[in-house]
Amino acid sequence: MPNIPTIKLEPGMKLAKPIMAKNGMVILGEGTELNETWIERIRDMEIASVFVDGPSIQTISKEDALAGLDARFALVSDKPYMKIIKQYVKEHIEGLYEQT
Amino acid sequence: MSKLDPTVLRHKVQNINALPTVPAVFKRLSSVIENPRITIDEISAFISNDPALTTKVLKMVNSAIYGFPGRIASVSHATMLLGLNVIKGLLLGVSVFEMMQKTMSGLYLHSLACAIASRVIAQKKGLKEPEEVSIAGLLHDIGKVILILEFSKEYEAAMNEAQGEKTSIFKAEKNQFTATHADVGSWLAEKWRFPRSLIEIIGYHHRPALAKNAPMEAAIVHFADLLVRARGFGFAGDHFVPEVNTAAFEILNLSGADIRDVLRELEENVESAGDIS
Repeated sequence: MPNIPTIKLEPGMKLAKPIMAKNGMVILGEGTELNETWIERIRDMEIASVFVDGPSIQTISKEDALAGLDARFALVSDKPYMKIIKQYVKEHIEGLYEQT
Repeated sequence: MSKLDPTVLRHKVQNINALPTVPAVFKRLSSVIENPRITIDEISAFISNDPALTTKVLKMVNSAIYGFPGRIASVSHATMLLGLNVIKGLLLGVSVFEMMQKTMSGLYLHSLACAIASRVIAQKKGLKEPEEVSIAGLLHDIGKVILILEFSKEYEAAMNEAQGEKTSIFKAEKNQFTATHADVGSWLAEKWRFPRSLIEIIGYHHRPALAKNAPMEAAIVHFADLLVRARGFGFAGDHFVPEVNTAAFEILNLSGADIRDVLRELEENVESAGDIS
């Protein structure tokens, strides 16, 4: 569930987490499909960003992301526990590119 | 170039108010925080009297760095809930943003991510005060800021060495300065009268086996730092993942599911946590 800056919200996006007022009261529930009115209301509340449903938006390609991972682990891949740690991170990164 | 004498370095750190390179705003804050007689009410007032600071502190308190389910609407509520040490740490956390941006691009994001990861792991280990570990995660690299401010040329040389020799910034610092950012951070934590556990966590986050007072907490920040580097959030001086300390990893005893959870929470929250400024 990506965290979208309020400025970039578009109608049709669905809230992945509820939006709450400062006193904790829920204003827009989880699952609400946003329209122009709601988006404007969110902007008026001066909320910086909201969580919406969908695959997270990645700014680099999967190949580049995994290549970066390999490069970062280059010095330690044969050291104790580092293989399994790298594997967890790798699976996490791969998961980011799956369409949900 | 001869190595800088660590006692000279330590003296400078203990007297940062005399360093022309440190911003005045930060020096003022440092004076407030290091005052042994400061009360939580006085710190609360210090924050409340500054609307911009109040906004930043409340934003951070309500962010993923602390993970409170409810919303904290006032400074007094925050200080009552979190206590003196965490509030001091929070104040420092929001105040070093500009200094970090100016000295090392990406360091603030790295620090925020480390704070989040530390908090999540501390909660998974059932620690009574995950917020204190979160603060350590947030401030663990603050020593780098002072080193860069005061010794920019030498630090640049260290960063070049890290890149050229494919080594860690920690090792490169040791070559340039004898002391490292971990030492500087621990001296700052001492100056700011943080508890011994917090001083240790910051001082030993690269060698957590040396933390006798807070071995679990030091292991947490050590691993959080590593995981954040592994995922590639922010930048802390070099592009490499350090070798995990095996004893620390073993006492953490995290399952694959635990690690996946930490990564997931990081992924969801790092971007918005970056709006703390």
